[in-house]
Amino acid sequence: MKVYIELYASLMALLPPGTQRFRREIIIDEGSSVQQLIDRFSISAELAHIVLLNGHFVCGDARKQQKLAEEDSVAIWPPVAGG
Amino acid sequence: MNDEQLLRYGRQILLPDIDLAGQTRIKNATVLLVGLGGLGSAIAYYLAGAGIGHLILNDFDRVDWTNLQRQIVHNESRIGVNKAESARQTLVALNSDIQIDAISQRLDKPALLELAQQCDVIVDGTDNFASRQLINEISLRSAKPLVSGAAIRMEGQLSVFNVTASSPCYQCLYGNSANDEQLTCSENGVLAPVVGIIGAMQATETLKLIAGFGQTLDGRLLLLDAKNMHIRTLKLVQDPHCECHGLRGSVLLSDAQSGLP
Repeated sequence: MKVYIELYASLMALLPPGTQRFRREIIIDEGSSVQQLIDRFSISAELAHIVLLNGHFVCGDARKQQKLAEEDSVAIWPPVAGG
Repeated sequence: MNDEQLLRYGRQILLPDIDLAGQTRIKNATVLLVGLGGLGSAIAYYLAGAGIGHLILNDFDRVDWTNLQRQIVHNESRIGVNKAESARQTLVALNSDIQIDAISQRLDKPALLELAQQCDVIVDGTDNFASRQLINEISLRSAKPLVSGAAIRMEGQLSVFNVTASSPCYQCLYGNSANDEQLTCSENGVLAPVVGIIGAMQATETLKLIAGFGQTLDGRLLLLDAKNMHIRTLKLVQDPHCECHGLRGSVLLSDAQSGLP
């Protein structure tokens, strides 16, 4: 099934070289969880700080249980502390 | 308010949301700003300009050449000078009508808490998770709202914590998991105006809390991706497992009293 992934800021570097857009369409297996999508891009738990499913926050514990549906959009932000 | 102040703050007083009453609240307010780096430069500049009556600036670091690209409250003549003191000198030149105190030592928890109790709003402009967690604790214990911003590379985050007992806190968002070393500006780089954007937003939220208008970022987190100029605001709720909420308004026990070694 088709879902969208948005990797923000430094996480964009994990997209294939030459990718200019931060939003990308990908095909995953039916019944995949949010965590399986995160793992597909090898994003560590530390870097996947804020995960949004269709704009709603998905906390760390829920990522394994939360299943994805066709056309879902997952956005991932890294942590930020600089000043 | 005297004629000079009416003239100086006239463009702000013109705003119906501020008016004379709001500007008077701003004049009577005390703000504690920790960190006079990139965020703190923009925060301090705008708060001093806007007429916050008493600014308490705290930073133990000294100005160096690598700071000047983005830390606009400092300048070449201040290399080697403590950042709180350097900022104080700049801000006094901008606005001699307000009280500005510079504190150049690294403050321990009791000292920081004592300062927090004197202020109306705490603003975090520090650059590491340990300081941010300490300031969050101080904000909870003193029950003073915390305007928290962070920026690195081309991204930033902003929120307002601990406004009420049901507000989320910094710990609800970050927990204890974050690793400092990978996330500082010195390690990762930062685009100069990005800290200014977030810092200016922090100053805006501070003025809103003090003058009492608009909808603050209490319970919301703003995410900025400057590379794609994408801004998103999402809902943030109190983490029911977050241990720090019991801290709200609680006194600080000494290590002996709390039974710690």
